[in-house]
Amino acid sequence: MLSYITKRLVAGLITVWFIATATFIAMHLVPGDPLMNQKAVSAEIRLNLERKYGLDKPVVEQYFIFLGNMLTGDFGISYTQQNRKVNDIIKDHFPVSATLGILAIFFATLGGILWGAITAVYKNRLPDIIIMFLVILGISVPSFVFAALGQLLLVNLNQLVGQSVLPVAGWGTFSHMLMPSMVLGLSTMALLTRLMRSSMLDVVNEDYIKTAKAKGLSPLRIFFRHQLRNAILPVITVLGPQIAAITTGGFVVELVFAIPGLGRYFVQAVQQLDYTVIMGTTVFYGSFLVLMVILVDIVYGFIDPRVRLQ
Amino acid sequence: MSHHGELSPADFLPLEAENQGELITRPSLSYWQDAWRRLKKNVRALISLYLIAALALFTLVGPIAWNVDPTLQDLNQISQAPSLPKLATLVENHIPWTPPVDPALPAIPSEIADQVDPVSAFRLAETASTQAVRLLWDGLSTAGGYNIYRNESKPEGFNDLGLPLISITAGNQIGYEDRLSLKAITYYYSIVPSDGFDEYDQFTSIKVEPVLAISIREAMERNILGPAQDAAIGSAITLEFHPFGTDYLGRDMLARLMEGARVSLFIGIVAPFIYVSIGILYGGFAGYFGNRIDQLLMRFADFVVALPFLLFMILFKIAFGIGPGESGIFPMLLALVLLLWPATARLVRGQVLQIREQGYIEAARILGGKPRYLILRHIIPNTMGVILVTLTFAVPSAIFTEAFLSFIGMGVAPPTPSWGSMCNEGVKTMLSHPHELFFPALFISITVLAFNLLGDGLTEALDARMRSRE
Amino acid sequence: MTANILEVTNLSVEFETFGGTVQAVRGVSFAVEAGKTLAIVGESGCGKSVTVQSVMGIIPMPPGKITSGSAKVKGEEILGLTAIEANRYRGVEIGMIFQDPMTSLNPSMTIGNQIAETLVVHRGKSHSEALAMAIKLLDRTHIPEASKRARQYPFEFSGGMLQRAMIAQSLACNPSLLIADEPTTALDVTIQEQILELLTELQRTEGMSILLITHDLAVVARMADQVAVMYAGQIIERGSLDDIFYRSAHPYTLGLKSAMPSNTGRGDKRLQPIPGSPPDLFSPPQGCGYAARCPQAMQICKRKLPVLTEDPGDSGHLSRCWLQHKDAPDVEELYQPLKLKGTSSAH
Repeated sequence: MLSYITKRLVAGLITVWFIATATFIAMHLVPGDPLMNQKAVSAEIRLNLERKYGLDKPVVEQYFIFLGNMLTGDFGISYTQQNRKVNDIIKDHFPVSATLGILAIFFATLGGILWGAITAVYKNRLPDIIIMFLVILGISVPSFVFAALGQLLLVNLNQLVGQSVLPVAGWGTFSHMLMPSMVLGLSTMALLTRLMRSSMLDVVNEDYIKTAKAKGLSPLRIFFRHQLRNAILPVITVLGPQIAAITTGGFVVELVFAIPGLGRYFVQAVQQLDYTVIMGTTVFYGSFLVLMVILVDIVYGFIDPRVRLQ
Repeated sequence: MSHHGELSPADFLPLEAENQGELITRPSLSYWQDAWRRLKKNVRALISLYLIAALALFTLVGPIAWNVDPTLQDLNQISQAPSLPKLATLVENHIPWTPPVDPALPAIPSEIADQVDPVSAFRLAETASTQAVRLLWDGLSTAGGYNIYRNESKPEGFNDLGLPLISITAGNQIGYEDRLSLKAITYYYSIVPSDGFDEYDQFTSIKVEPVLAISIREAMERNILGPAQDAAIGSAITLEFHPFGTDYLGRDMLARLMEGARVSLFIGIVAPFIYVSIGILYGGFAGYFGNRIDQLLMRFADFVVALPFLLFMILFKIAFGIGPGESGIFPMLLALVLLLWPATARLVRGQVLQIREQGYIEAARILGGKPRYLILRHIIPNTMGVILVTLTFAVPSAIFTEAFLSFIGMGVAPPTPSWGSMCNEGVKTMLSHPHELFFPALFISITVLAFNLLGDGLTEALDARMRSRE
Repeated sequence: MTANILEVTNLSVEFETFGGTVQAVRGVSFAVEAGKTLAIVGESGCGKSVTVQSVMGIIPMPPGKITSGSAKVKGEEILGLTAIEANRYRGVEIGMIFQDPMTSLNPSMTIGNQIAETLVVHRGKSHSEALAMAIKLLDRTHIPEASKRARQYPFEFSGGMLQRAMIAQSLACNPSLLIADEPTTALDVTIQEQILELLTELQRTEGMSILLITHDLAVVARMADQVAVMYAGQIIERGSLDDIFYRSAHPYTLGLKSAMPSNTGRGDKRLQPIPGSPPDLFSPPQGCGYAARCPQAMQICKRKLPVLTEDPGDSGHLSRCWLQHKDAPDVEELYQPLKLKGTSSAH
């Protein structure tokens, strides 16, 4: 197990390096240069700025400086916000995005497993048909539409009740988080429901369910002890990649609900061509996702005995 | 054994060998025939096929049938909800109105009063139209000016007078002309006297219902004037028909949806087609040759897969840049292809590796099949099913990506419409004009739904085929 | 006559499928005597597994449907019971083991827990008590280091060991009948022998009956007291082991025998496969299901289904063949390749 984790971590490190390099190359392909947005720069100021950000050095040297800084966890200083470190920006805004994401994953997993199990039990009957219709809807409607609809719903709800039941936008309390995280988790929930349903139906046809019946176990016991547990396992494996989907889906939700998360900040940085922030955020998110996938695999190993002992 | 009934000796004559055992009673079908048969039995897949056909028709034939310029602005009908064609009264071209002044009143009162009376006789100077609303009132000798407000509901108090239109700083001005994006709905105008700076706590409101009107010049410019003899001032003429309404700039939604369909579907179909093709070549190459080449190629593919997709989409979008006047479709296509080919490559490689080990490949090889024959006759046909399913599911994900990027403003550059960028514009006016968000969102959803259902249907059809062959 | 543990009468089972209704079992009757072994033999798809799984109530319903028949355990009707009622005999009176032990045990539960579960549910034992008993059961099926093995998961076991664990599990509540559905098919030949040996030994010590489902005549010869031969959803011959092997009355039984290798034959003896394949049970033939493949087929065979008749000179030996009709010609005169009387007189 330990050697497995080490192996995964080393591979993850190489992946992070690849992400950083790709980011660096992509950013240097951008036509024009990072200082173009700076207002009315005289040649002298420009030179100073170039020196400050190390842009006067050859590209290869810049690359190694960038890699070196990254190793020490230093992503540099923002171009547009004077003297604000990219690290500080990440530190300030990432926890917000992470909270939103964790809540969304929580809703999605809980809902996905629950709905998936229900649809499998009621296969081809009314509850199954209704839920699967909603699932198809959840997969087919873009997340920003859900975000907009969620907000519209809150506006109408608050109007109906006559007072603010849930805040329409902003961040701070749990009531702020409820609607955005549910909206964010919606498409993942739909996906997990589908997966859980087919997984449940696969397991029902497994020989060991026949064995359990032949042993004279009650249907309830078979459902919980034998079917559900085995059906959940494959669902967990997709959680890693889904975390990535939820993170990026967070951009839209943060924009619509005016949540001060890193996603919204990233979009803003892109619009202002704030190079260091873009590079720092990309590398940070990339590493975070790589780590998440490894983490989910390791957790999965603890849950599934077949993986654990190999 | 009486229960056997009466039997004749003829019953016990030997049966001619008919070799019935080998007789197959059901007709044999080829792989694709069978898959097609199963697909046709799947109601949802069939619906999805009709939907896709309808979308193709909408995109290709639509612009011919609905020949409206998607960039043309209809300023009479801005943010118009879907409705039947509207009639408008033809009016004279607008001549700016100089607000009347009451010479009997001072422009600035000699002293500032603590209290003033409310403005009286707040009225219309002439019939209100969407061209102009001209208001008149009796001036107050004690007022140093007037503030005019407009609201869409009846004001209950000082707090909901609505949109402030103007602060007049002359007590003797007794008229005002409002031309600010008027619509044929009910307005409540309120007037509040002021001392020139601060308002007095008095207001007077009137209800105004402007008629939909169009000036002769506008009507001629837009070519909606009927035969000349009918074109008299005051006659009713039919305005342009917008079955799906208009957007916030007065552009026809239906025409824009058709134009947007071209962009969205172009990206949604061409990008998957390119990257799936690249994936097939790359994965097929790696899978067929195996060993070191395979290891190397697949490790690289793994790296590309690990790139955070949407972040890099955005990065590439900036990196490939959009020059002035360009639509940004090509950079998006390029970014999609660059990032998404490895998924197909992995899949195809896995398939090829698996098929390579199958007995029938070995058998064909032993019988003297050349690599070219093996690839063309065995490997490609047996991976086609999986590839077709991948391609089907790739379309909705590409459409989603386009929509997502356009929504956050990183996609197709205006004025080129795409469904995603239309959503982006629509979400801003979501509360007042929901149709501007609803229609593009609906089209995205229907397209994604259709391709998802088709993908499901194909998977089931091909899967069942595989299973029954085992 | 000894008491019957299990009596199945006129059982018919259908499956609704995509392509139509499959009549998988068509009026099957048999009985398992106390302490004896009944083997049901037949080729794949003949309905032998469906028969016993219907008796156990573990065929999926729908699409499966028991259209007629009865099954009695110690005189008590068990068909048509609800799942809860049926659990009075499932796992208690009847234990069952399956063809593929690799997939028949829950992969995410330890072997010990899976065996203990039966005891907790049926005998009301505490978990630790049940686990201790499970270890004893594993020991009784000759699994070495039973206490360590009980803590392991199915994937850590070999196929043979898993089948032993399956047997241990099915024996937990001392059932009076063990249904073994192709218990050795998925195993290596050497392991097969060990499992059969274990079953024989347990039958001797526990005194239970065994209902053995197999397609392997060698296994039948090794284990069975009574044999029922199934073809196309029907029992076409039934009798004692000797009846079936030495006084075969149905051409299909003969066909099966000539397709079986033996170590007593002379070197020039070739295995005779049965040509063709069984009929499509979507629309079973009007006459005898074997008529199309039968070398002795007669005109009547194609038109009319023969009934299961007892051999007048051999009590308890039944077969379903027109050749047993009093008007039927002597087989030897009809065809050369199979010498029916010659075979039976060899005994």
